[in-house]
Amino acid sequence: MSTLDWGVLIGTIAFIVLYGVWKTRKTQHMSGYLRADNTERWWMMGLSVMATQASAITFLSTPGQAFDDGMRFIQFYFGLPLAMVVLSVTAIPLYYRLKVYTAYEYLESRFDLKTRSLAAMLFLLQRGLSTGITIYAPAIILSAILGWNLTATILFIGVVVTFYTVVGGTKAVSQTQRLQMAVMLGGMLVAAIVVVRLLPNGIGFSEAMEVAGQAGKLNLVDLSFNPSDRYNLWSGLIGGFFLSLSYFGTDQSQVGRYLGGETIAQSRLGLLMNGLVKVPMQFLILLVGVLVFVFYQFYAPPLYFNQQQAANVLASDKAPEWQHLETENQRVFQQKKTASLALVQAHQAGDEEAEEEAAALMNQAEEKRKELRANAQKLVKNYNQGTDLKDTDYVFLTFVTQQLPNGLVGLLLAVVLCAAMGSTASAFNSLASTTVVDVYKRSLYPKASDDHYVQASRWFTVGWGAVSILFALFASQLENLIQAVNILGSLFYGTILGVFIAAFYFRRLTGSAVFWAAIITQFIIFLLYFTTQIAYLWYNLIGVALVVGIGFMLVPLLPKRG
Amino acid sequence: MTKGDIDPPPFFKSWTAMYWLVIGVLAGLVGLFYLITIAYQ
Repeated sequence: MSTLDWGVLIGTIAFIVLYGVWKTRKTQHMSGYLRADNTERWWMMGLSVMATQASAITFLSTPGQAFDDGMRFIQFYFGLPLAMVVLSVTAIPLYYRLKVYTAYEYLESRFDLKTRSLAAMLFLLQRGLSTGITIYAPAIILSAILGWNLTATILFIGVVVTFYTVVGGTKAVSQTQRLQMAVMLGGMLVAAIVVVRLLPNGIGFSEAMEVAGQAGKLNLVDLSFNPSDRYNLWSGLIGGFFLSLSYFGTDQSQVGRYLGGETIAQSRLGLLMNGLVKVPMQFLILLVGVLVFVFYQFYAPPLYFNQQQAANVLASDKAPEWQHLETENQRVFQQKKTASLALVQAHQAGDEEAEEEAAALMNQAEEKRKELRANAQKLVKNYNQGTDLKDTDYVFLTFVTQQLPNGLVGLLLAVVLCAAMGSTASAFNSLASTTVVDVYKRSLYPKASDDHYVQASRWFTVGWGAVSILFALFASQLENLIQAVNILGSLFYGTILGVFIAAFYFRRLTGSAVFWAAIITQFIIFLLYFTTQIAYLWYNLIGVALVVGIGFMLVPLLPKRG
Repeated sequence: MTKGDIDPPPFFKSWTAMYWLVIGVLAGLVGLFYLITIAYQ
């Protein structure tokens, strides 16, 4: 990395953090610390909600996913705008009327303490574990590609975020997130423009789209219905809708963002802004991945994008095998480049037959490249036991560091770090607020002063920061655990949403019925996960249906109170 | 209910119109994406 890149990176991060701390240094009482004194404008909340969802992995994995699998991942977000509308109509007015600090407080007023505590505990468990991964995942990729020390990278992200979240609470999270979002959106837009400009002479955006289309990368909408297929229109609209309802309506890391609004109208507008902007934003990120794919049709890609793992194989007795694969990769690349250039020329000449022929040759070469990559993966597996073999997470950052001009590398790295910090800050803040409001204040010290709770919130932020950093530091030795935590998180959402849907819409359901229905549902979902092939997006819908259905069955069997 | 609940949204007479805008934009985007998919199939 050049001095200019370091300057851009450090300057951007330092400015954002110092600005956030300076603007929120006087935050002292609980309403200010946990609900930003209800002073937030809609656009600030909209940006904050988006920054919370956009983790570093969004900017690292999503372009890689488009590079490998095309743009069909966009369908995952189709249910999100619909969920924003439903939450604006139902959840926001309810939360405001009760003046709650956390979503789980509402459950006690509707049901009882045990249902509130169950939902809060499920959130703390799921978010507490996954926040460590939010820090670890980008750190491992940054350290592999840039040679940064993994421990130092984890500590840097964790400590800096803990610092400004402790100082300013929700206000600091929001103030920093709006700047972080500006860097993220600006950075990705610049990346998209620069990739097109780096293509060979005579190949512009239109030609790039033709190459991507012929390679099957512009597969944005799939109308077929297949419950085991993760991304199609129906899983996106229905499964994505329920997942978004759950995430934005019941996950305190998101609820905490829009509870700080000046009025109900401002909070609604913030969520609706997310509904309007999210799909185009994801489209842009996926488009960057597709453009990077097109770039590597004309410029040689590495055999395997995780260079650190490749180096491990090259240092072993399998080096000759690896070198043979690399030679083959070069040969296949030449075939692919020739076919891609022929495709562009045929397209420009309007010769459809020649275009189809060239596309077939290009796709044949791409299939060969995939075979070579699969063989490379097998070798990597032998020398990197237990590690993540998905090198697509490394595609975008490899492209950034190897192809972009000085200065832009620093900007794109700032995008990744901003994303990591924004989502981590929301997580720390929500973990602390849930611990203080739903556990500490509700069950342990109910009559302490406002100042006492603010201090407790600061200490719980430090505590959750420390837990997440420790988890991230040990995560490298616990690869299987990381996968388990990711899966576990997605399996809880349906149950939590079921509890809230029961609270919002089914007046006949009682606290005890919903509490036991939630516990039974969680067991059934784990059972389904281990015994069927249902795509995870559907578990949200299944969770809701089970909690409500079992709840109704239990109502006549259980006493109304207790 | 707070005053904010009855505040109309900016540029629109009612919240319902605002919600239809969000749904309409989504429908438009899905339609556009479908056309792109078909065009490059």
